[in-house]
Amino acid sequence: MSKLIYNRRRFLGTAAATGAALASPFYLRRAAAQSGGEVNIWTYNDFVPAAFKEQFEAETGIKVNIRLVDDQGKQFNLLAAEQPIPTVDIMTVAGHRFLQFIDSDLLAPLDTDRLTNWGNINPTFSESDWSTINGNKWGAPILSGMEVLSYNTEVVSEEEAQTWDTLFSDKYSGQTAYIIQDMMSIIMLKMGYDGNMVEYMDDPDKAAQIVEEAKQFLIEKKPLVRKYYEGGAEFQQMMVNQDIVLGHSWNGPAAALINDGFPLAMSIPREGSYGFVYTYNIANNAPNADNAYTFLDAILASPEIGAAMTKASGFISTYKDASQYLSDLEKKSTSFPEEQLANLQFFRAEANEMKYGLVDPAVEAIKAA
Amino acid sequence: MPCPAARGAGGQTHAKESCMTDHSHPSSKAVATVATDRTFWGRLAAWGPYHTLMRLATASPRRQFLILAAFPVLWVLTQHLGPMLQMLRVSLLDAYPVAPGVEQHFTLDNYARFFGDSIFWMPFFRTLAFAAVFTFCTLIITYPVAYFLARHVSRKNQMLFLLLLLIPFWVGEIVRTYAIMILLGNTGAVNLVLKWVGLIDRPIPFMYTSFSMGVGIVYLTALYMLLPLYSALEKLPQSMNEAAADLGAGAWTRFWRVSLPLTIEGISSGCTLVFLISTGFYATPVLLGGPSTTVFAETIAGFFHVAGDEWPTGAAFATIMFMAALVITATFQKLMNALRKGESK
Repeated sequence: MSKLIYNRRRFLGTAAATGAALASPFYLRRAAAQSGGEVNIWTYNDFVPAAFKEQFEAETGIKVNIRLVDDQGKQFNLLAAEQPIPTVDIMTVAGHRFLQFIDSDLLAPLDTDRLTNWGNINPTFSESDWSTINGNKWGAPILSGMEVLSYNTEVVSEEEAQTWDTLFSDKYSGQTAYIIQDMMSIIMLKMGYDGNMVEYMDDPDKAAQIVEEAKQFLIEKKPLVRKYYEGGAEFQQMMVNQDIVLGHSWNGPAAALINDGFPLAMSIPREGSYGFVYTYNIANNAPNADNAYTFLDAILASPEIGAAMTKASGFISTYKDASQYLSDLEKKSTSFPEEQLANLQFFRAEANEMKYGLVDPAVEAIKAA
Repeated sequence: MPCPAARGAGGQTHAKESCMTDHSHPSSKAVATVATDRTFWGRLAAWGPYHTLMRLATASPRRQFLILAAFPVLWVLTQHLGPMLQMLRVSLLDAYPVAPGVEQHFTLDNYARFFGDSIFWMPFFRTLAFAAVFTFCTLIITYPVAYFLARHVSRKNQMLFLLLLLIPFWVGEIVRTYAIMILLGNTGAVNLVLKWVGLIDRPIPFMYTSFSMGVGIVYLTALYMLLPLYSALEKLPQSMNEAAADLGAGAWTRFWRVSLPLTIEGISSGCTLVFLISTGFYATPVLLGGPSTTVFAETIAGFFHVAGDEWPTGAAFATIMFMAALVITATFQKLMNALRKGESK
């Protein structure tokens, strides 16, 4: 009797093992066969095109694990908590946030010699002043974005969208939304100050006074706003549900809505706005650094991948000639008139420690007020 | 297998010997096959050291108790007390997390920051006020449901009804929160119906207000109120109310003087659960709340993610909230106990 049970158990065990092997996802077996390992990426939604990911995994046997992030600060804290043995290989840091990551030893300098496709990036992005710090490159620019005023074209006129004041007008009370932290920089710019705070690096008192002024403005306008939001998806949802008709947003989420046929338009108001560049960076002590370089080189390989990233995310590609692969609507949703672009400046990192030391508590104060 | 020859009356010794010698070979072979044939557990059970260990471990009731107690104690220590103590420790540090080699110092500054800046009091007291109001609303809404279920549904159907009430809880909290968005949004179900009926021309902005947040929290916590109330009401004998009716008490008096006092136990545990859960809600206020409903959990979260390296302040604020919720709950329980004592006299 015991023999029978034993045999039956062994049979069941063998059958189960066979079944599991048959049922295991194809890539697992393939990865095991090629011993490609894996690469762990923290990035925003839609920054790694699905088709590219599939192809990359099939060709290299390297499994791509993506963890979505929606905020630079959260990403910083996650990594700070994990160092010196992080689980992440590649992160997505906005160019103007580099310094904070570099100062805390969270990033490894990028060895561009290992990237045969580095030259595919438009030099405007790969060779600009913010991209080289301490004589090193720290990331591969992939997408560029900007802070824009997005509006429902069935409700808000093009004329009204030419100024940030419309966002704070009584006419659209309870129908607006913005990200407070980003809005602080824009309000400072709108008030005639340097929102990057580089001008006030030697005068912290002046900086504190300016942040206080911007903070008071936003607290005063608090009764008019419908929602302080944090992620692009939230903004899209509020627009689609018509909970808001205009708001500050990044151009990416807005462009994605436009491409879906939603009656939305964007403008860079005349008071000006800020732009930023997302880069892929390799974490200091990355567990799979070699795979990370393989991945970076592969994703930089062709302008079509850049175009696919633009299509999915709505941000503007940093790749040379990527726009050739976009449809007319996609081109329209990722470009601005020259006179509006003239109002745009890039975020800068030099004064970040002072700036965010003042702005972050102000943001909490506005939320709490 | 017994040796039949051994039972013979004459020549017992010899017979026994011969029996043993006769069978010694085959029987030792049988033992050997059994040993290899045994399952893992069988072999373990027959293993000497294991026997000794088990004998030692279960030698006295005291030891048995200690072994049984070890697991729950370990669980409480590692899963409940440990994280709390770690949070308390972080709240007293001047920096966390730090790079290796950086020295940390103990400080009370993080707590001082709360008491020193009135800007943080608003969300703190708002959270407590919201939690109290929402708990009361949940109680008012679920009491009739629990009453109906315990009193007017036949025993054999009660399980079915409870399961029906449980169905929404099969999906996660976030999914249910999004469901509320679909209901209350400007293009949501409620506004569509109101518009279709002709009661409104423009949608009512339900979303991102304390109303939408309240609906969300009451909906999400209803079950934690319902179950204790149901079990308290179920225990309450029908005869009590019948006796009261016989003595001339009207419906309102019967409820006020009989049902309510006798279900205070359920009310108190339900309210405690819902209140504690409401003070800690984070996702629901973020998704359903608006600019004027910032709760303390969002303030705390702000220190952990958006505002950079301010974990100690966040930990201190979380500790303050925890202590406040604890004190309020303890006071509430005391009050409820006092009420119950008054009844039994």
